[in-house]
Amino acid sequence: MSFIDIVKRSLRNLLTSKARTILTALAIAVGTFALTLTLGASNGAKEYANNIVRSNFDPTELIVSKDPNLFSRQDATKPQVYNPSFGSISTFGGETRQVQYLNTADIAKIATTKGVSSVQPAITVSLQYVTRDGQKKYIGTLAPYNSYQKPELLAGSIPEKIQDNTLILPQGFLSALGFSSAKSAIGQNIRLSVQNQTSLNSITTNPLAALNSNDNKSQESVFKVIAVSATSSTSISAATSLYLYTNINQVESLNNYIYSGTSSYQKYLTAYAKVTDGTNLTKLNTAQSLIKGEGYSVQSVVDTEKLITQFISVIEGIVTLFGLIAIIASLFGVVNTMYISVLQRTREIGLMKALGMHRKDISRLFKIEAGLIGLLGGIIGSALAVGIGTALNPAISNKLSLGNSKLLIFKASQILILIVVLALIAIFAGLLPARKAAKLDPIEALRTE
Amino acid sequence: MIEVNNLTKIYGKKSPTFKALDDVTLKIEDKSTVSIIGKSGSGKSTLMHIMSGLDEPSSGTVLIDGVDIFKMKEKKIDAFRASEMSFVFQSFFVEGNATCYQNVLLPLEIAKVGITKRKKMVMEALKAVDLEDKVSAKASTLSGGQKQRLAVARAIVNKPAIIFADEPTGNLDSINGDKIMDLLFGLNKSLGCTLIIVTHDPDIAKQTSMRVSIKDGRIENIEKGRK
Repeated sequence: MSFIDIVKRSLRNLLTSKARTILTALAIAVGTFALTLTLGASNGAKEYANNIVRSNFDPTELIVSKDPNLFSRQDATKPQVYNPSFGSISTFGGETRQVQYLNTADIAKIATTKGVSSVQPAITVSLQYVTRDGQKKYIGTLAPYNSYQKPELLAGSIPEKIQDNTLILPQGFLSALGFSSAKSAIGQNIRLSVQNQTSLNSITTNPLAALNSNDNKSQESVFKVIAVSATSSTSISAATSLYLYTNINQVESLNNYIYSGTSSYQKYLTAYAKVTDGTNLTKLNTAQSLIKGEGYSVQSVVDTEKLITQFISVIEGIVTLFGLIAIIASLFGVVNTMYISVLQRTREIGLMKALGMHRKDISRLFKIEAGLIGLLGGIIGSALAVGIGTALNPAISNKLSLGNSKLLIFKASQILILIVVLALIAIFAGLLPARKAAKLDPIEALRTE
Repeated sequence: MIEVNNLTKIYGKKSPTFKALDDVTLKIEDKSTVSIIGKSGSGKSTLMHIMSGLDEPSSGTVLIDGVDIFKMKEKKIDAFRASEMSFVFQSFFVEGNATCYQNVLLPLEIAKVGITKRKKMVMEALKAVDLEDKVSAKASTLSGGQKQRLAVARAIVNKPAIIFADEPTGNLDSINGDKIMDLLFGLNKSLGCTLIIVTHDPDIAKQTSMRVSIKDGRIENIEKGRK
C-alpha cells in the first residue's frame, strides 16, 4: 500500500472514532498549549532583555574591570587578599564588597591594546541637586550620552556631538521643573550642582567645623536643554529612566570635582573599551582576549545578554519540563487509544493481511494514526496558545509596563518544529500497538468475534 | 494449476499435538470450481488457509503454476496474494463506516494499482454484483445479502486468478445464498478464475466441478464433474 493510501486510510479511521481521537489529541494539546506559551514568553523575555541591553550598551564596546570577581560569583566565605586599589561597592543583596578599581594608568594601558579605538571610564555623577529658577531642588544623576542609545525623543534633537553645558532631560523631570510640555523645555536653562566628597567627609568627622565653614565645596553649573527623552520601557531600572545625559567630558570633569582630594579620585569600577569594527564578532573577541591577557576582566554586550538570558533560560527550562511531563502523560493516552484501536480492528487487520497487505504497512498504518493524533494535538494546543496569547498580549504587556515590547512572541518556525516533534513522539508512542497489529496472525484475527 | 503435495499440518509443539491435515495431496485445474466439504474441525478451512499462503504447513508443498509459494519470501507471498488471490468470508468483513466504493477499493490499494485505473475497476466490480447504485452508501446501511455482494465485488475487483470462498452463504438466507452462489459461479465463467469454496452445504458442492471431501484431516474422497 502506498504511503498516501496509508495516510488516507489512517485519517478515515481517526474520523470514524471522532470522540476518541479528539479526546486523546486534547490531552496532548494541554502540554502543547503550555509549551507554546512557554516558548512565546521565553522569546518575549529574551527579546525584552536584549532590548534593554542593546539600548543601554554599545555592542562594539567591551566592559572592562580590574576586579576578576566583578563579572563572576565571589566566594564570600573566604577572605580576600588586600589590594591598595580596593574600593567598596554595595551589591543588590545589600552586601558591601571590596573590589579593585581601575585607575588612569589602567585606562591608558587598555587604550593601547590592539583593536581598541578608545576607552572611557564608566561613570555617572550623583548630582547634589537639579533645579530651575523658581522650582524645587531634586536629586538626580548625570550620565554620559552614548550615540548608540538613540532614545525616543519627545522634543528637540540630539546632535552628533553634544556640546558642553547642554543636556538631554528625561520626561520624568518635566513637570517637576515646571515645564508644561516637552517642547517648552527646549532651550531652557536648568541648574545642576555637585558636591565635593571631602566636604561630606568633614561633616561626618567634624560636623561643627563643617557647618561653620563657608567653603561647602559645591559647584553649580547651568545647562541648556537640547532634547527631552521619553520614559523608556527598556531602562535598566526605574532610576535610570531619570538619568540626565550630557557629553562624557563634562561628566568626567564633574566626577573629578566630586572626588578630588579623596581616595576614589580617578578610580573607576569599570570602563568601556570601544573596539574598531566591533560589530565584527571576531575582532571584538580578539580585543576581548587581548585585554583579558593584560589581567583585566572583560565582558562584552553578548556576554551581558547571555548572563541575563541564562536566567530566563533556567525559568524556561523549568516550565518546559512541566509541559513535557504533561505531554509524556498524554502519550500514555495515545498508547492506550492505539491499543484499543488495534483490538477493535483485529478483523480488519486480518482481512488486510489476507488481501496481501504487508505487515510493515500494517505497522505503518497504526504509527501514522498515532502520529496524526500527535499532529492534531499539537495543532490544537499551539493554535489555542497563539490565539489566547495574541488576544491577551497587549493587556499583559501593558500591565507589566513593557512599552512597545511584547510578553509573548510566537515564532512560526518554533511552533512548526514543536508540532512535528510531537507527531514524531506520538509515532514513538504508537510503536508498541503498531507492532502488535503487525504481528497479528491473520487467521486468528479473522476468527475474532 | 494448484498442486497440493503431501500436506500435513500439526498444531502444537508439545504433546498432545493436533494433526489438522494429514498427507493431503490434490490438484486443482485452472478456471475450475472446487468445493472442499467436511464437518466442522475436519480441516477444510486449514487446507484453504495453507493453499492461500495465510498459514504454513508442517510439511508438504503448495505449487501454484509450478511455484512453491512457501519458498517465496513473506513480502513476495503478500504481493502474490494481493495480485492473484482474493477471499469471500462467511462474516463478510466489510468496513461498516466506509462507503461501498472504499470497501471495494481496498485490494487495489494493497496491490498498489495506479490511481487512474482504480475508479473504473471499482465501478466494474460494483456493477458485476449489481451494487453500482450504492457507490457512496455506507456499508453499514446494506442488508446481509448486499454486504456479501459487496464482499464479492471486493474479491473480484483486481481480477484475481483464484477466489477462496469460506462458507460464503453461511450467514445468508437461502434466497440470498443462492444469489451469491449464482454470482460466484457466473464470475468464475466470465472472469475465468478458479473458485475454491469451503462449505458444508451439499447443494453448493453439487454445483462445483470438483468436490474434495475431508474427514479428520485426510482426504476422504475426490469427485469430479457436476452432479
